[in-house]
Amino acid sequence: MIETINLTKKYGELVALNNLNLSINDGDCFGFIGPNGAGKTTTIRVLLGLLRPSGGGASIFGLDCWKRSPRIKRDVGYLPGDLRLYPWMTARNAIGIVGQVRKRGLAERGRELWDRFELDPEVRVRQMSRGMRQKLGLVLALVHEPKLLILDEPTAGLDPLMQDVLYRCLDEAIARGQTVFFSSHRLSEVEHLCDRVAIIRDGRIVADEPLETLRGRAAREVKLEFADAEAAGRAEVPAFLKIRERRGAQWVCDRTGEMPDLIRWMAGQPIADVTIGPPDLESLFRRFYEREGDAG
Amino acid sequence: MRGLIAKTLRETWLTTVFLACALCLVKFLLTFVLPQFQKEMGDLLAQLPMVQAMLSALMGIDVEEEFTARVLQSLVWVHPVVLAILWTHTIMFCTRVPAGEISGGTIDFLLSLPVSRRTVYCSESLMWVVSGLLLIVLGVAGHVAGAWVGSMENRPGPLVVLFVVVNQYGLYLAVGGVTCLFAAMSNRRGRAAAVVVGIVLGSFLLNFLSQFWQPAERLAFLGLLEYYRPAEIVRSGAFPLGDMIVLMLVAGAAWVAGGVIMIRRNICTL
Repeated sequence: MIETINLTKKYGELVALNNLNLSINDGDCFGFIGPNGAGKTTTIRVLLGLLRPSGGGASIFGLDCWKRSPRIKRDVGYLPGDLRLYPWMTARNAIGIVGQVRKRGLAERGRELWDRFELDPEVRVRQMSRGMRQKLGLVLALVHEPKLLILDEPTAGLDPLMQDVLYRCLDEAIARGQTVFFSSHRLSEVEHLCDRVAIIRDGRIVADEPLETLRGRAAREVKLEFADAEAAGRAEVPAFLKIRERRGAQWVCDRTGEMPDLIRWMAGQPIADVTIGPPDLESLFRRFYEREGDAG
Repeated sequence: MRGLIAKTLRETWLTTVFLACALCLVKFLLTFVLPQFQKEMGDLLAQLPMVQAMLSALMGIDVEEEFTARVLQSLVWVHPVVLAILWTHTIMFCTRVPAGEISGGTIDFLLSLPVSRRTVYCSESLMWVVSGLLLIVLGVAGHVAGAWVGSMENRPGPLVVLFVVVNQYGLYLAVGGVTCLFAAMSNRRGRAAAVVVGIVLGSFLLNFLSQFWQPAERLAFLGLLEYYRPAEIVRSGAFPLGDMIVLMLVAGAAWVAGGVIMIRRNICTL
């Protein structure tokens, strides 16, 4: 569905994308994560044919993103990161114009979507709050049920209830076989939906793995409650546990990888209680940056 | 293209109608009022050589030698207010895409639609050409109404008026074409508009200076206003074929260059 091969984009001396390789299959929900300025939006702009690559290539549906952009966009729904719409536009006339350009009757689906997003179809963009504009942008991206959805920071400005509506819409889209390219600087956002995540930093992909594999690599917080402070003091820290904090009878540790050796070790200790948290993807995400930063 | 045209129409009709009505009114008033002040204007020109030079620059003839009642009629077509309205419209229209869309941040939405940049450029240009025509036609309507209400004496014939109108439309298109070129190169609408205003004013300045300064006279051919000479058309009654060829070449070349740049350039929002 989407393929970039050694994709490079330079702005003069600044290298925004550096030999970026991505391959996204039909029906994937792909999370594209990175901090501000990492190259997420540049990648998307190349995919949409707004920027010409300086090197390498990008294709969607097997078509070159620069040369065949209008054809590609027939089947793409796009929500820009910094969405700005015409001040005179209302949801109703926006759907009308998009329908005319796409040569499709979109009124019914548009109505269904603006109802779901609780959007008044008669309010002009100039009177809308940031969140309402974002909702209109989402309606316009989703309305023609495209084969590929490219969403750049789609939850920005949405309240938690509307975020849930968006996640439900995207779940339905994925169930219909649509492909989702979800760009965000927050891993917790893509965790809800995506089955694969790529992390970009300084224009390079530093990780591209299924979310399950990333979870396996992420540390879990383990809280061990010993019988008493004396027992906690006597216990030897095993190599596979990284102690973060000791507080009387309690240890707060990080554990990366499988659990059986931890369970075996705990069986021989005077432990009164244990809490094992979910994989902490956010800290793993941060580590990718720190590691790269150290190397640099 | 229909959707794009609907969008452009939605965004521009009010300004176009307003400017067209303003042009109609101004031309009506000028056509009606000017003949009544011929004597006063003749005296004024005799006293103020600077005004004479300015009028010569605007009208494209030597006013001192040929300030007749008929030539005075051509002032209707070169009055600064008339030119300002025409240039405001063409610059406003031709800076919309891509400079206006980029500075407004709406280009992302526009180009996320399944339309080529060529289609966007051509649909905008089509609307510009058509609305420019509307502007010119309403200007003519104002002129005709002013002539009908006022004195018909010494008025140029319909064919001469048509030649002047065609020349004026040529100038409108040439300024617009140049604007399209600078708008295609720019990310900021204001900057593109400022450059074109500079070019137009520079052209007027060149025409003005060429009245009395030899080096400027040699460079006068570089100014667009050099090819817009209503007084000459009124005096000779001939179609300004050479001027029109130059204006259309400038308009066409600049428009095509703007289109090529628009199609090939990177689009970065600010």
